[in-house]
Amino acid sequence: MRRKFAGAALAAALTAACLGGCTSDTDKKTTTEAQKTTEVSTAAETTAVSETTTEEAVTEEVTTAKEAATEAVTTEETAAETTKEPETAGQEADETTASESGSDGAADIGNGELVIFTWEGMFPDSILDGFEETYGIEIVYSNFDTDETMLQKLSTAKGGDYDLVIADDYIIENVIAEGLAQKLDQKSLTNWENINPVYQGQFYDPDDEYTVPLGAGIPLIVYDPDVVECEITGYNSLWDPSLEDSVALIGNYRVIMGITQLAMGESMNTEDVAVIESAGEKLKELAPNVRVIKDDNTQLALLSGEASAAFLYTSQVYAALGENPNLKVCVPEEGLGYGVMAGFIPSQAPNASAAHLFLDYLLEPENAADFFEYLGYYCTVKAAEEFISEDAKQLLVAPEGAAMEMIQNVSNEANEAYNKAWTEFKAACD
Amino acid sequence: MRSKKRSRVWLAALPLYLFTILFVAGPLIYMVVLSFMSKSDSWGIEAVFTLRNYERIGEPVYRECFVQSLKLAFTTTFLTGLIGYPFGYFMAKLSPSKKRLLLLLIMIPFWTSSLIRLYGWMIILQAKGVLYQTIRFLGFEIKPLKLLYSYPAVVVGMVYALLPFMMLAVYSSVDKMDWNLVEAARDLGASAAKAFWTVTFRLTLPGLLSGVILTFVPSMGLFFIADILGGNKIVLVGSLIQDQLTRGADWPFAAALSVVLMTITTLLLILYRRIANTGELEGIV
Repeated sequence: MRRKFAGAALAAALTAACLGGCTSDTDKKTTTEAQKTTEVSTAAETTAVSETTTEEAVTEEVTTAKEAATEAVTTEETAAETTKEPETAGQEADETTASESGSDGAADIGNGELVIFTWEGMFPDSILDGFEETYGIEIVYSNFDTDETMLQKLSTAKGGDYDLVIADDYIIENVIAEGLAQKLDQKSLTNWENINPVYQGQFYDPDDEYTVPLGAGIPLIVYDPDVVECEITGYNSLWDPSLEDSVALIGNYRVIMGITQLAMGESMNTEDVAVIESAGEKLKELAPNVRVIKDDNTQLALLSGEASAAFLYTSQVYAALGENPNLKVCVPEEGLGYGVMAGFIPSQAPNASAAHLFLDYLLEPENAADFFEYLGYYCTVKAAEEFISEDAKQLLVAPEGAAMEMIQNVSNEANEAYNKAWTEFKAACD
Repeated sequence: MRSKKRSRVWLAALPLYLFTILFVAGPLIYMVVLSFMSKSDSWGIEAVFTLRNYERIGEPVYRECFVQSLKLAFTTTFLTGLIGYPFGYFMAKLSPSKKRLLLLLIMIPFWTSSLIRLYGWMIILQAKGVLYQTIRFLGFEIKPLKLLYSYPAVVVGMVYALLPFMMLAVYSSVDKMDWNLVEAARDLGASAAKAFWTVTFRLTLPGLLSGVILTFVPSMGLFFIADILGGNKIVLVGSLIQDQLTRGADWPFAAALSVVLMTITTLLLILYRRIANTGELEGIV
């Protein structure tokens, strides 16, 4: 009798296990419920953090941080020297960043915490450790996986909880519009002049009041010259019939629609629905050549031989060439689309002065060179270019003189048209 | 006396009611309301009533996504039935110790995340992956495979992920069956095939049908398999909803899509119950 029920009970257990399992796989990316649960967990974290620091401690922190700042200005050279050391003691970073709200967290450090909210793995240990050692401020590293999640959490926190956020240009436009960012205190950013002006004054922050650009991405075509038979000169080359079922694409609908429009000689940001629709038609003609569309680790399709040409994000171009130096990069002749990652300080940041210190630290030429060589994005700190190693230079210093356009937010109507054209394209790839 | 007992039962059930209201009914209502709102021009949602979201679903491209999802769900369910039924049937006829072993073998893969198992399939199907290497090893000269990122690869992944549900549902109903009835049929002159068809199959049909439900419903929503093994080229409603929630930042449209998807699934379930004339799911109750 017992045996007979065993099967039924197992099936039930299995259903529960798998349904649970399945959702936990997908929810990271999508469902609102998942976002809510993560929200709750971060909220718990931050309350835990704030509990450890009393108000007095906070004011103390601010003053000490300021002292440290003035100290840093006067002893710039020594600061630069000390940053070199931590590289050897790099492993410590894991401990410090992981210990977030450890029992003896903030009390021991004394100078407070800096809560950085950005993608995973943005900084090398040398930067995080170097900053912590120089200023005695503990860095708490908090991650998001999409810009949208970031805005969601930041608006739930009403611009508080985080001291420094690094995210993409278009979302920062929304952040500023929602009043969730505060103006930078440019006087405290002694290295402000090091920023490459090419990346300043952009649509999301026309007067550079709120943001510091920290890396630019220019998606490019990478191909395997041993396999590709046609000549790759630009976006239009991807349409070549010899590339049938061999092209890997990143999954950002605005970027892919954008390059199609560039290939047609139109702007990436057109709001003219007729143009978007004709771009959609042109994009559908690319469908037979598409092997895979995916947004993360797209370069793997190229490296595994699954695809012979790929349109990749900058960090992926960097990773692909690091893995296989025989691959060739094409800077498309039709013009480049690019995006900027920028740092901003939320409106209610608990420790804005530490955030300023960190931004200034990052703008230090040698630190910036370290940062960009690790990150693999185009260097937005002009003064750092000379410190970047020769090998990395071709990939980290943006090609000069090319026509460049940023992808910007468009009207709802245009956005609907972009979405529709993109879905039609994906369905045509099947 | 009686009323006291009742109130105690009611109290015991209270947490469940609260849970259901908070985490099932609440979000559902939120979703339905959301589906009638508009996306704001910059970010988020505006409380402006609109039917536009539903109107958009009527556009051919989005209708096609529903057709695609249904097609994949039916294909998956059919194939899992075809493979799962015989498996469950023969498993139930094994000796108890072998049964236990088989059950364990079915369970073991669930100890790892389904995502990791999918990546396993990627490694097998890749252009120069395990399958390719094996064929080469056997002495055949072939070009790198183009199996990954195709429709068949997606179907393989779906069937693989959902097969255990079908197998176990069929197994439990075959296991419970009274074999004397089959013997009686044979004694009365029915051939083995006829006895199977008129007795065994009829008696185990509830198991098969609950297996169908257990595979069909999840396969309507399992989009990450199509994303990973299909290279994002098969647009299912699930991935469309995900797109709208993340990149597209169009939550009301995503909510409208979800409402329609749930409605279709519910209607199919009601239809199924009418046809199968069964209220309970064999194998899980």
